[in-house]
Amino acid sequence: MKFTLNKKLSTALSVISIAYLIMAYQLPEYTLVPVDSDVIPKILGYILLFLSIILFFLKDEEKKEASLPRKEIGMLLGTAVLILFYIFLLEIVGFIIMTTLFIFVSSRFYGYKKYITNGIVSIGFSVAMYLLFNELLLVRLPSGWLPL
Amino acid sequence: MDFGGLLLGFEFVLSFQGIFFVFLGVFIGTLIGMMPGLGPITAIAVMIPMTYGMDPVIAIVLMAGVYYGAVFGGSSASILLNAPGTSSTVVTAFDGYPMAQKGQAGKALAIAAIASFVGGTVAVILTMLFAPLMANVAVSFGPAEYFALMFMGLLLITTLSEGSTTKALISAVLGFMAVTIGTDAQTGTSRFTFGSMNLLDGIDFLVVALGLFALAEVCFLIINRNNKMQNTANLGSLRLNKKELKEMSGPMSRHSVLGFIIGVLPGAGATMASFMSYIMEKKISKNPEEFGKGSIKGLAAPETSNNAAATGSFVPLLSLGIPGSGTTAVMLAALLVLGVKPGPLLIEESPEIFWGVIASMYLGNIFLLLLNLPLIPYISKILQIPRQLLISLVVMFCLLGVYTVSFSTFDMLILLVFGILGYFMKLVNIPAAPFILAFILGGMLEQNLRQALTISNGSFDIFWNSPTAMALFAISLLSFIVPLLFRKKKMK
Repeated sequence: MKFTLNKKLSTALSVISIAYLIMAYQLPEYTLVPVDSDVIPKILGYILLFLSIILFFLKDEEKKEASLPRKEIGMLLGTAVLILFYIFLLEIVGFIIMTTLFIFVSSRFYGYKKYITNGIVSIGFSVAMYLLFNELLLVRLPSGWLPL
Repeated sequence: MDFGGLLLGFEFVLSFQGIFFVFLGVFIGTLIGMMPGLGPITAIAVMIPMTYGMDPVIAIVLMAGVYYGAVFGGSSASILLNAPGTSSTVVTAFDGYPMAQKGQAGKALAIAAIASFVGGTVAVILTMLFAPLMANVAVSFGPAEYFALMFMGLLLITTLSEGSTTKALISAVLGFMAVTIGTDAQTGTSRFTFGSMNLLDGIDFLVVALGLFALAEVCFLIINRNNKMQNTANLGSLRLNKKELKEMSGPMSRHSVLGFIIGVLPGAGATMASFMSYIMEKKISKNPEEFGKGSIKGLAAPETSNNAAATGSFVPLLSLGIPGSGTTAVMLAALLVLGVKPGPLLIEESPEIFWGVIASMYLGNIFLLLLNLPLIPYISKILQIPRQLLISLVVMFCLLGVYTVSFSTFDMLILLVFGILGYFMKLVNIPAAPFILAFILGGMLEQNLRQALTISNGSFDIFWNSPTAMALFAISLLSFIVPLLFRKKKMK
């Protein structure tokens, strides 16, 4: 028997549903409410388990499994890393610097080679957004290292 | 018919502010919808942070404009590039792209614009007539009926969505599970928070919508970033002759009504409407062999239908407070944040919102036509923005959107998690729309169930004794069983 995509998915989903069920059974109970907070989660957990069992026996759709070149996985991971950097440094370094850096570096990372255009767009975008939020929408974005 | 209400709506919409925001919405929607891979949900979700603090009427008018602008923008991308921005415009490419290849891109765009205008306008008139009627019926609904209604909506979106029903159901259950994270409103129990303080309030819907749709769509943009888009350089004339206009009139009148009806149904939206219209038009056509080779009818039918359905989907949202599609679900969530509770009482309590939206739709459709016919050649230039730059900006918009709503870097991490989840779901063909609908309806569903059972002291009689609820359950059950039976028949 070939381990098809549906079977892999089914296995992963049943693991999720069982983990979810275990946590649902650990929820504290109250005696006075007719429907306690654990009822819906338990129902959901069992439905997901049931669905993943059905999925196990379903034939895969005709569409072939999307195969990804190695390099592209690297691109996606790289994007995730860039986003993580942005998230952790945003409140320390500040919105304008981080946003400019993010747009510039990630555009370059995806293969954009016009440095000047890239620079203008990234600085223009971050300054425009900063002004839009701080001045017009009155939402304070972190100014960070810049004396704003 | 409440003409006073409609006048009130127009009074708002025809103000400087009203006109400005309808125009802005339609314009931004068209731009975003045109970009390959980005659809109406992404367009609306990206706009949400901008609407915080806005007058709710303006906010919804803006978002409605973005919605049908995005649907139309998707059509343009389908015609010009054979790259539909959204599933609802896939059918548009069937006949639109062949027309463009024949050097009639301008004509195809004009047909799409006129058909969208007619479909949208007819649907607005129907919405105006039906939404208040529906609201009148729904005023008497209690928690039991609401539970049944939401249950039906959720089930229908899974049975009606394309592809595997099992996978759509899985998506809905996962979405429901995601919303159980956080503090339970009734008992105060914290559920599935893993001891994290940040999760006590649950996950914000915007984080889910941006992650699951926008960020996941970006992943595919990244992978295809080097695909050169061959832009149809020569649009050709935009003018249609009398014969062509006559040829369009049949499909336009038929499918504006059909599209509207499909749009009103919970679970079925613009995508299904466009497919059904195309199939129907081909069936009744005298020369079906023309379809797929640049048939005017084959282009006009789905274009009328998808816009009519986009408008029709506002009926359940405005009159029942229940979204029937992923897009309207995101819109509902945005309204709730603004303090507007759509539902049967909306027309009574805030007529300016209800009628403002209706009036804005009339205006929006006119703008769509005005904006699109003369400006299409310029707007299509947006497709020449370098992909690499575009991707960075979209990612930035997602991050910014989340941060300006919660000011929490933790939420941005959750966004990343949902982006990865959305990407994998797309990869294995699990549709994301049921997930977001379940995420938004799930909380209400649970609340209504528990309220109903609290009223009845735990007895299920409250459902048995409500004919409305039983009828809705029956419909849900049928929607589930009928397709199964059909499939069996086919197999034999």
